[in-house]
Amino acid sequence: MCAIVDANVAPEVFGHNRPAAGSEFFKWINREGGRLVAGGRLLEELDRTAAREWVRQASIAGRIRTEDDAEVDARAVELRDLCISDDPHVIALAQVSGARLLYSNDQDLHRDFRNKRLIDGPRGSVYSTRDDKGFRERHRKLLQRKELCRSGR
Amino acid sequence: MRRAGDGVTHEAIAVDEITLRNYRCFREEQTARLAPLTLLVGENSTGKTSFLAIIRALWDVAYRNRVPDFKEEPYDLGSFDEIAHNRGGGGGRSDEFTAGFKAATTIPQEEPLEASEDAAPRRFAATFRKKGTAPVPAFQRLSDKDGEVWLEIRQDQDQTWLSFGTPGGAWKREIPEISGRWLDVNDDRSMWTFASSLGLFFARAENRDDRAEAVSLRGTGRPDTDEIERVAELVMRNWPLGYLESRPYASAPVRSKPRRTYDPARTTRDPEGDYVPMYLAGRYFQDKDAWTALKGRLEHFGRDAGLFDEVSIKPLGKRESEPFQVQVRKFAGRLKGPQRNLIDVGYGVSQALPVITELLRDDAPPMFLLQQPEVHLHPSAQAALGSLFCRVAGPKCQLVVETHSDHLLDRVRMDIRDGKSPLKPDDVSILYFERGALDVHIHSLRLDRMGNVLDTPDSYRRFFMEETTRSLGL
Repeated sequence: MCAIVDANVAPEVFGHNRPAAGSEFFKWINREGGRLVAGGRLLEELDRTAAREWVRQASIAGRIRTEDDAEVDARAVELRDLCISDDPHVIALAQVSGARLLYSNDQDLHRDFRNKRLIDGPRGSVYSTRDDKGFRERHRKLLQRKELCRSGR
Repeated sequence: MRRAGDGVTHEAIAVDEITLRNYRCFREEQTARLAPLTLLVGENSTGKTSFLAIIRALWDVAYRNRVPDFKEEPYDLGSFDEIAHNRGGGGGRSDEFTAGFKAATTIPQEEPLEASEDAAPRRFAATFRKKGTAPVPAFQRLSDKDGEVWLEIRQDQDQTWLSFGTPGGAWKREIPEISGRWLDVNDDRSMWTFASSLGLFFARAENRDDRAEAVSLRGTGRPDTDEIERVAELVMRNWPLGYLESRPYASAPVRSKPRRTYDPARTTRDPEGDYVPMYLAGRYFQDKDAWTALKGRLEHFGRDAGLFDEVSIKPLGKRESEPFQVQVRKFAGRLKGPQRNLIDVGYGVSQALPVITELLRDDAPPMFLLQQPEVHLHPSAQAALGSLFCRVAGPKCQLVVETHSDHLLDRVRMDIRDGKSPLKPDDVSILYFERGALDVHIHSLRLDRMGNVLDTPDSYRRFFMEETTRSLGL
């Protein structure tokens, strides 16, 4: 039930004129079973997007869980050379938080997130609108999955 | 736990859980986690005040062995018919309701213990039935944490039964009529007296009255001395009748109006805090050191909250018995503003003063049951109240606070996250009261070290999320 939103797709989730897939994802984290995680550089990035006000309210409501910035940033430094993408802070957040669902349209980040050596127990899954902005069966199935967090989170 | 090193003995009670069934709007049996700081949140009419009321009622039964008065201010819950859960329709009203708690308790001793010394938790439960129009405890059960050693007293019509059990067996006997007066379940000496003479009671049973013969419920034979001692110890450690006269302080949601001049009068606590000016004046006149210390603590909070920088008592005569005024003033850097009468400043000051005085006085009770302490306070003062709660709450002072203040709740989260409070995340419990179709469910939410609210159901703060969503045009 824990997910990460890449700052690059924040407008698809928190902005106006959202695509159907973004709108359904927002509904899932806003009033259904989904919980967002954030922390470190990603939280700073989200804070500069349309997500800002929602994040503030969601943190009081328990719909977003923030992780220790220092811990996430330190992990990101360790992962810098292991990641293909330039987003080791996202992989670091997944490792620290246990979140296993990523909303992103960055293909390099997709590869990192699906890399068993980086994300495991359970493996990472990607929610993408890169090729199709519609809300498709694959999107629906992802939001229905229960094993989107590492055990104990 | 007791305060260490102050030379004063204190009762030591930490209530960890409250369990309810068929009480007010709580039908199903459910357990709520209490912590040193517990915040009750939820919509109106979801049972938050009823929850506070049952804590005090249980305290009265368990620690003072009194029949609780469910109409005592600040909680007027009405008669049994209003208190027992009403299922509505064909379900009707329950003919009994049950409440209980788990707590670590020790009785006071002459030598203060270190603050780190823990008391083993015990469980207490009472079932209330209708007597006349009021609820009275018809059944009480005290047990150790694992339920291995337990003692029950039950009253059915004119008979009182006592049972107890240990891993070695369980026994039951009717309490003989000759002793009925002092062994009445609701007599304020019964359990104690009984516990102290359990062995004698069972030894005599066979010779005095056939009806009073001990019946073995489990195991064989009569209880041996060791078993009786285990039960007696359980009772003596956890039913400290006569020692625990200090009840939880229960505040009303609206405190008394300020007055321009006060006449010295009684200084006993009341839910509206009507006595607080008299208490402050008493400190001022009778114990300058205590007054200076309390004044300093009040002013510390006053500054944090932006309410006042100085609080003072202005005597209007030469004697303690003559009228006086309570004054406050604000500073602006090195400039000191004029002294203002309590009645001439914002209502928030006079409404907050009773609560913060109670929290900060030296002889604060071991538990506070507060209803909306944020009433009339600006958001910044509400937040400061959250910080005050984080400082005051702890092993020697438990706070249970009903609140609608986001600012207070958010400050608690941040103080925990930022390490500005001695409290740890587990020292805070957020109880979310969610209304169902005809009853209410209590969700025990937790904080983690980052101040995140965990275990939230989807309905938690749905209204606020929807307002935000609408505000953002999403």
